[in-house]
Amino acid sequence: MSQTLPRIGPATAASPVVAPGRHTFRSLTLKQAAVTLVIALLFGILGSAVELVFDWRSMREEVAGTMRRTLAMVEPSAAEAAFQLNDRLAEQVARGLAEYPAVAQVTLIDDMGGDLATFARGTADADGTLADRLFGDLSTWTLPLVHEGRPVGTLEVGLTAEVAAERFFERATTNAAMGLLRAFAICGVVVLAFYLMITRPLLRLSQQVMAVDPANPGATPVPPAAGHRHDELGGLIDGLNGLMSAFQRGLDQRDKAEGELTALTLELEARVEQRTAALAAAKQEIEQLNGRLAAENVRLGAELDVSRKIQGMLLPKPEELAAIRGLDLATYMQPASEVGGDYYDILQSGGDRVRIGIGDVTGHGLESGVVMLMTQSAVRTLVASDEQDMGRMLGILNRTIYDNVQRMGSDKNLTLALLDHTPREGGGGSLRIGGQHESVIVVRGDGSVELVDTTWLGMPLGLVDTVEEFVGETEVTLAPGDGVVLYTDGITEAADASDALYGLDRLCRVVSDHWAEPADRIKQAVVDDVMRHIGGHVIYDDLTLIVLKQK
Amino acid sequence: MDTIIDGGTHKVAYDPATRTARLAGVMRLNGMAEYAPIAGLLSQCLTKTDVLTVDVAGLEFLNSSGIAVLSKFVIEARNSGTALTIRGSKSIAWQGKSLANLQRLMPTLIMDMQ
Repeated sequence: MSQTLPRIGPATAASPVVAPGRHTFRSLTLKQAAVTLVIALLFGILGSAVELVFDWRSMREEVAGTMRRTLAMVEPSAAEAAFQLNDRLAEQVARGLAEYPAVAQVTLIDDMGGDLATFARGTADADGTLADRLFGDLSTWTLPLVHEGRPVGTLEVGLTAEVAAERFFERATTNAAMGLLRAFAICGVVVLAFYLMITRPLLRLSQQVMAVDPANPGATPVPPAAGHRHDELGGLIDGLNGLMSAFQRGLDQRDKAEGELTALTLELEARVEQRTAALAAAKQEIEQLNGRLAAENVRLGAELDVSRKIQGMLLPKPEELAAIRGLDLATYMQPASEVGGDYYDILQSGGDRVRIGIGDVTGHGLESGVVMLMTQSAVRTLVASDEQDMGRMLGILNRTIYDNVQRMGSDKNLTLALLDHTPREGGGGSLRIGGQHESVIVVRGDGSVELVDTTWLGMPLGLVDTVEEFVGETEVTLAPGDGVVLYTDGITEAADASDALYGLDRLCRVVSDHWAEPADRIKQAVVDDVMRHIGGHVIYDDLTLIVLKQK
Repeated sequence: MDTIIDGGTHKVAYDPATRTARLAGVMRLNGMAEYAPIAGLLSQCLTKTDVLTVDVAGLEFLNSSGIAVLSKFVIEARNSGTALTIRGSKSIAWQGKSLANLQRLMPTLIMDMQ
């Protein structure tokens, strides 16, 4: 009956946290470094571009300024040379200008259009396009030469963009390299600061959280991080510790409840076992009782069989009844399922004298059967000894039965009516009735019915030691066609399914209705009617019926 | 009234004030042995008073063993000289002939049929 409850909890569940290690550190720091680098580079490139534009502009200013100053410096000499048309001086001016590496071509023209001096430097223009774009607009300078308020000629100077561009590119390269270097430096500093301030404490916290026993999270609270007591990290640790202690409380409550449940389960199992044992004991007892009951039933069944046999074996045979002259007799007896103690007998004695006894022993079963048997024997004995005094007969019968019932330790008694029929001269007969039993139905030839109450003719036999004082007798004269009907209370108290009794009135009515018929047919009519009344219901008591018709 | 015997379907009580023993319900006890306490109680009543009423008006059914007990009690009352009244009910079937027999066992018995 034992059953283990399933355990659910962190003790058996796999840890959902990813194992700690350098991988986490690397990936976090690397991501942060990459993002920082990209941002630093973007800002560096932007800064460099702005710087480059400013450089380009100042470079152009510088070139233009230098040119203006130079031209201002050479202007008097050039004007003098143009005024004098002095080739040598012009040559000197041109050569002087050619000293500048940026000057590619110098032409001094007089006001007539004649060249006084010309200088041209061969240029190897490799990527002149970009240089021209940047500085091309500054390549041609024309200076009108004036002497004493009169134009005397023109000085034309051509510059090569190469020289200025070369210097510009040199500075731009340096600039870009510096920018790159700056970006990396910023990136490094930022990553380091971020690592020291955030990543490293987080990693430590992560390791401490990993170290927490999932089955006992409240036992080892995470220590506060140095230097982070009052910042967001400190708050995170506090929150985490609160969470874990709450979790611990939950676990403790669960364990407690589980413990209680286990105790209850064990107690229940123990109780179930006790009950099972008690049930088994009860079952065994019931089986024993059933066995005894079965044995008792067999015994009772055997007893009932014996009782039924006793009752049946001493009943008068049909041929005995047929042999009786002067009377048309029909009898019926149906024992109840639990045999009662109905008794009747019809005996012929001393010529045409007919002695009839009918009685009902109280109760059912073997004991009632035995009392019925001794009654039958005693009555037969008295009839055989030709005893005719009603009082003496009933007195002896009572004494015999009373003493025997006392000996049996029984409380059985019986109603018993004795009838003594003698033929009358000239037809018909007379019937003496004594003893207490059901009312005797006297039926006249025309079917009319009279009742003889026997209450005052006797006492139940076996109840008290003497009954002589209570015994009486009455006499009924029967004309041919008249008769009597005797019965036990099994007939009048036969119950249908709704417990309604058959009743004396109905019995009288049926008898009266069929009285013209032979005794046997009358008997059958009554039996059929009683059975109709009972229907399928239980027959509680023995049914006994005697129809006597005077011939 | 004190209920002295309570058998579930039947009750027996004795009221000293009115000197009445009352039997009520349905009595289907099995044999003299099972009736012994009731028989003993009725006999005891005879020793307490010389005027006694036995009220069976509420006794709906009494089997043959019970009738035997009641008969023996009436003979006992007759022999002890007790002035006995039996209060019965005309509407209860068993009482008709049985109570008449009691009357015959004890001619001084007063039958109070209601």
